[in-house]
Amino acid sequence: MKPVITFANFGNYTDIFKTLFEGLGLEVLPPEKTNSKTITEGVKIAPEMYCLPLKVNLGNYLSAIKNGANTIFMTTASGGSCRLRYYGVTQEKILKEAGYNVNFIIFDQKIGDIYSKIKEISGASLFQILKVFYYFYRKLSLIETLEKRAQYLRPREIEKGRTDQLFIESISKIGDLKKEKDFPKFKKGILEKFSQIQINEKKNLSRVGLIGEIYTVCDPTINFGVERKLGQEGIEVYREMNLSYHLKKKIFFKDFFIQKKVKPYLGSTVGGHGRDAIYEMLHYIKEDFDGVIHLLPAFCMPETSVRPILEKIHQESGIPFLSLSLDEQVAEAGIDTRLEAFVDVVRNYHHQGISNRLRINE
Amino acid sequence: MVIGIPRALIYWKQPHFWETFFEELGFKVLLSPETNKEIVEMGVKVADPETCFSNKVYWGHLLWLDGKVAEASPHLPKRSAGREMNEVQRTPPCAASRHSACDLIFVPRLKANQEKLEYCPKFFGLPDLAKILVKTPILTETFDPRKERTEKTFKKLGKKLKKDSRETKKALEAALSKEKELKEKEKKEFLEKIKSKKQKIILISHPYNLYDEYVNLRMKEKLEKLGAEAIFIDEVPTPLSSVVSHQSSVKFHWEFGKEIMEKIQEILKHETCPVRNRRSSNGVAGVIEISSFACGCDAVLKEFVEKEFKENKIPFLYLMIDEHTGEAGFQTRLEAFMDTL
Repeated sequence: MKPVITFANFGNYTDIFKTLFEGLGLEVLPPEKTNSKTITEGVKIAPEMYCLPLKVNLGNYLSAIKNGANTIFMTTASGGSCRLRYYGVTQEKILKEAGYNVNFIIFDQKIGDIYSKIKEISGASLFQILKVFYYFYRKLSLIETLEKRAQYLRPREIEKGRTDQLFIESISKIGDLKKEKDFPKFKKGILEKFSQIQINEKKNLSRVGLIGEIYTVCDPTINFGVERKLGQEGIEVYREMNLSYHLKKKIFFKDFFIQKKVKPYLGSTVGGHGRDAIYEMLHYIKEDFDGVIHLLPAFCMPETSVRPILEKIHQESGIPFLSLSLDEQVAEAGIDTRLEAFVDVVRNYHHQGISNRLRINE
Repeated sequence: MVIGIPRALIYWKQPHFWETFFEELGFKVLLSPETNKEIVEMGVKVADPETCFSNKVYWGHLLWLDGKVAEASPHLPKRSAGREMNEVQRTPPCAASRHSACDLIFVPRLKANQEKLEYCPKFFGLPDLAKILVKTPILTETFDPRKERTEKTFKKLGKKLKKDSRETKKALEAALSKEKELKEKEKKEFLEKIKSKKQKIILISHPYNLYDEYVNLRMKEKLEKLGAEAIFIDEVPTPLSSVVSHQSSVKFHWEFGKEIMEKIQEILKHETCPVRNRRSSNGVAGVIEISSFACGCDAVLKEFVEKEFKENKIPFLYLMIDEHTGEAGFQTRLEAFMDTL
């Protein structure tokens, strides 16, 4: 049986995963873009109490399996303390019990393990694998640059919706780009297009930081496009959490420095990106932001553990804080209402000015 | 000086151990009473709505020690019976007074057990969250045998209480021997239990759900009334060799996960295990798993526990407990389950 590979959706990065596997000479069948239908399909077979990303992933797999995929690539985190560690085995079990005959390749987030698993399935040489991964990384950083650009442009653009239109177009183009030697020219072209967007250099924009669990923060299909919605309301959104942040953290022992910063609030890891949420929130307060939005899948163990701490920081500093837990039953209208109310709070807070803010702190 | 220990969650991992340890060190120990309605209500009010039920109960106990529940209902300690009554009487100033009943509340940060397996990640942040919640100072120490020898951790803990290492060591030994004694006793009781001719039901859950009678709605009593013998998974002796454990399909890094899976293997595979031998009247009739609502670990564990029993065709019932669980609903489901056996 020839392996036909599929994988779970991951926000804007899904398309480049596809080219990654194609670069290794494997046949790939990307999952359908996450929508309410795929989520419902996943929820049907998923354990009730598991967190949202697992249910979403299962929905993604099912859409691809229907089209003929038979091998699933899934990550695990053997060093972590949260449930992500059991995603692979649990998903494999669930799919088997639901009657799907699929081959699961569960790789750990370690260079050695990724290499050996890929080598085994594709038979590519070390040089080829390195090359493909380097190309993958270049594409990844371009996407993240564009994400940051879009965050900057959305509240400033004159023709509403122009940025998003261009952004979505560019993401799929990046995914389709095959040859690496075309990349520099292509990158230049895209950045050129972004700089052509006409903007209104408003000086006084409110700024909001997004913190929370990586999957819900990064995937606009899961968080109902929080970033886009805030941007269109004229609020500049910042988000530190992205895929390369997560990858770099592993390499540069960033956890050690984060722990030092969050020490007064939390003395240890609580699994996942629990500490990072506190770290980022403290950072945003220091940078004088006007609000913080915390996104998490409902019942996420690390994020619910740190939420009381985030609330305490919010009380101490007075910065507007909104925590949105997402699951399959959350409706877009509910999120919209809360966001709208929050935007009002943020604007008020912004206009109160710095002197007022100091008084609250006292 | 009085050290308060909440009788919930991590307390049940090593009951009596911490009391003995602090008493040997020469401190008075104040245990919160057994869980009751007020405690649960207080806990639920302050807890994060999405944290697990067991955590919410823990916050209730903490608040009781902090003197807040006592303030709300001065008759509270009278409700608890037996041994707990004695605990409360030993330190009379607590209940009625508006102030905190103890000088320190002990909330350890348990990260890994002696076998270097991790505890639930929600335990990692307990001391920090407790500090936010209560006014009483928190006594804490990080227990992580992967990074530091346990004796050293205890020495550090002793130092915080101004005790030298010799005293701490003595207290630790006393606490350990007390724990061992209790384990022996438990084992004896277990061997008695499995000789009974009644239908045996195995209850699978965390110790803090099994031993807290209010939390599990007196499950054991209910089962006994229905004519069954309830055996806690805790009481099943740990297999002697670790060889058995690797047959399981998933390797848990959680201490309870590994323990429960191993014990299940012991029940199922090991022919010599006294609980086995289903053909005779003293085999396992059925299994009930209890889990707290929103327990993240149980969401994973349940999948694999259920699979084991399904494969072996042993009836399995999964019950979820939370602050809204009604006794009547539980009773009906238990009766129906007993009828199917």
